Amino acid sequence: MKTGLYYKTKRITINLFIHLFLLSVAVTCIFPLLWMVASSLKTQETIFRDMSFIPKEWHFENYYRAWREGGFGRNFLNSLFYTTSVVIGIIIVASLAAYAFSRLRFPGQNVFFAMFMAAMMIPIPGSFVPLYVLLNKLHLRNTALGYILCMINVGLSTSIFLLKTFFDKMPKELEDAARIDGCSKLGIWWHVALPLAKPVLAVVVVFNALNVWNEYVLALIIFDAKPLMPLQVALMTFQGEFITQYPLLMAGLTITALPIIIVYLFMQRYIVKGVTQGAIVG
Amino acid sequence: MVNPEQILNSNFQNSKFSYWILFVICVLVMGIFVIGCSTQKTESKATITIWHWMTDRQPAFLELARRYEAKTGVKVNFELYAPSDAYAQKVRAACQGNTLPDIFGILGEKRDFASFVKAGYILDLTPYMEEDSGLWKNSFFSEALSVNEFPEGNSYGVKPGIYAAPIDVMTIQMLYNKDLFRQLGLDPNRPPQTFGEFLEIGKKIKAAEIQGLVSGWGEMWMIDCLANNYAFNLMGKDKVLATIRGEVPYTDPDWIRVFRLFKEMQESGVLYNGIVTMINKTAEQLFANEKAVFAFNGSWCVNVYKGMNPNLNYGVMLPPKVSENFPMSIWGGAGSSFMVNAKSKNKEEAVKFLKWLTDKDQQAYLAEATNNLPANKESVREIPEVLSQFASAMRFATHPNVWGISEFSAVIEAFDKGIQSIIIGEKTPEQVAQEVQKIKERELAKRK
Repeated sequence: MKTGLYYKTKRITINLFIHLFLLSVAVTCIFPLLWMVASSLKTQETIFRDMSFIPKEWHFENYYRAWREGGFGRNFLNSLFYTTSVVIGIIIVASLAAYAFSRLRFPGQNVFFAMFMAAMMIPIPGSFVPLYVLLNKLHLRNTALGYILCMINVGLSTSIFLLKTFFDKMPKELEDAARIDGCSKLGIWWHVALPLAKPVLAVVVVFNALNVWNEYVLALIIFDAKPLMPLQVALMTFQGEFITQYPLLMAGLTITALPIIIVYLFMQRYIVKGVTQGAIVG
Repeated sequence: MVNPEQILNSNFQNSKFSYWILFVICVLVMGIFVIGCSTQKTESKATITIWHWMTDRQPAFLELARRYEAKTGVKVNFELYAPSDAYAQKVRAACQGNTLPDIFGILGEKRDFASFVKAGYILDLTPYMEEDSGLWKNSFFSEALSVNEFPEGNSYGVKPGIYAAPIDVMTIQMLYNKDLFRQLGLDPNRPPQTFGEFLEIGKKIKAAEIQGLVSGWGEMWMIDCLANNYAFNLMGKDKVLATIRGEVPYTDPDWIRVFRLFKEMQESGVLYNGIVTMINKTAEQLFANEKAVFAFNGSWCVNVYKGMNPNLNYGVMLPPKVSENFPMSIWGGAGSSFMVNAKSKNKEEAVKFLKWLTDKDQQAYLAEATNNLPANKESVREIPEVLSQFASAMRFATHPNVWGISEFSAVIEAFDKGIQSIIIGEKTPEQVAQEVQKIKERELAKRK
């Protein structure tokens, strides 16, 4: 006969293995970040000699140098501006489009939706040259607006797909009730659909914020003026053809990673909900 | 979770709220337009714009631009776009949009360079080079200039001429750690001259349980480089080029001897364990940290080693020769170059600046500040000793880009992978020779 002790031991053993597994996964995820911070406190010489995790001498001045030599001040503000504008733009356009695809009936609806989805399949580097030529013809190259419009376009397909999937599962009765109370289509989108879609919107915000914050190739191609460059381009100044200034690069990476980590920490409650939302709605 | 009931009970009948949302959106979009359009770049006609990818050279370039402006009143903007692959995309895109700057560099193979020339984007510098009895042309190492030159009857169909000015050059040679040489009981001022001496040192390295030669052979092109060096030494340039043309098979005894050299190196213990998969960054790190006796690397390494270990005590040597029949050959000459935009309004000013930039004093300053080999041969006297050792071998330099003929990519791949297989003991030199020849014949048949 199995005693209480047996079940208790079994539970503890299973939990131990689960926690060991989760701990190893967590360490794998967090190790590169810790290594990045540790390396940012070393010198170019010691980074190749001192393999210890905690440096013998801590060079906090690397952060100051990275900020100053990389010209981070202006670029940091640029990245904040681009990320905010693009994310707001994507939320407005994608939620309106997704709502329309989900709830309205209009000619060519499926064709348009298929075209948006097809855009997800196009590798972004493949579109650089056409985008450059198009922006140049519209006199939008080397402008913040040109970059923001391109980045909104980059994030639209996935965001529309996520939001449409959510709106498809939203009960129609809610809208009918709103309509009886005299709400317009735009009003239903604003008062009913968007508040319910908060968890999915959180996913869209984090996904696109990450995408824009980390983007540099398109920025490098369409901008000539250094004052317009985002933070990631400034980071590249530490990475030479043959030489990389690793401590400064790591310090710069730590600085650039912080805002996005903060965004994630603030939104993580909604992200978890967003992932499971499909089962909850309706 | 938001309660739908609460939402429905809210006062959504107030449609004015929706109009407010639209108003905010409009203001936001207008704001972006205003900010975006206000940053449109305006340029002065007296400004020369240069695009480049060389992060490590940017401070030196900025200093030279400052000096040039002080001297001539012409402003020079060095605009850095790194990393190099993104830079290459930017140049291609700018080409399509007809927005190339006054001066720029092209990354890639000679066929890419040729396509830019044929499209009319690059100014032919030959008339400027030949002014004053070729004063500008003669200031360069001829090997450096030949990379930027399309000779008469070139296979790319480009009008013969010189289309770029080199700003630095490079050679790929062997390096040895003088301190480890002493530790092995060797004379640090007498590196091995022959392949036999090199293999003897391999035995000592093996006995002392330290590591031998490091190089980025995982990146393959560096294997190709050393193998070609020995092919030139064993059979001469003409026979190598005849092989590329398909007139000599890779199963020729001389080629089998080239393959066998790698087997001998492996057997003697002169190669670092795991060299076959090693990337050059790792190789540089190992040599800089004094964990390897030899390295096979380009002259750019001087700056790299200086950053990693300023106290590294090392010398430069040609790869030890196997044969006395032909001189030892190394890859070199192909450094960074600048081209002038043929469609630029400032092309005359741009050429004047390039002439100034490649003049003796500016080249010496660049070499000193960036530890790269100057393209101007008159500047060599004023550079550090290790760089000078690299530069002194420039007369042995050659490069596939100047051969006027190139091997099939599939053959190069089979050749390099074959050598890797020999090193790890998977195949014999004879087997590799046969396999490479088979692929060569297949590619030749396709061409016909």
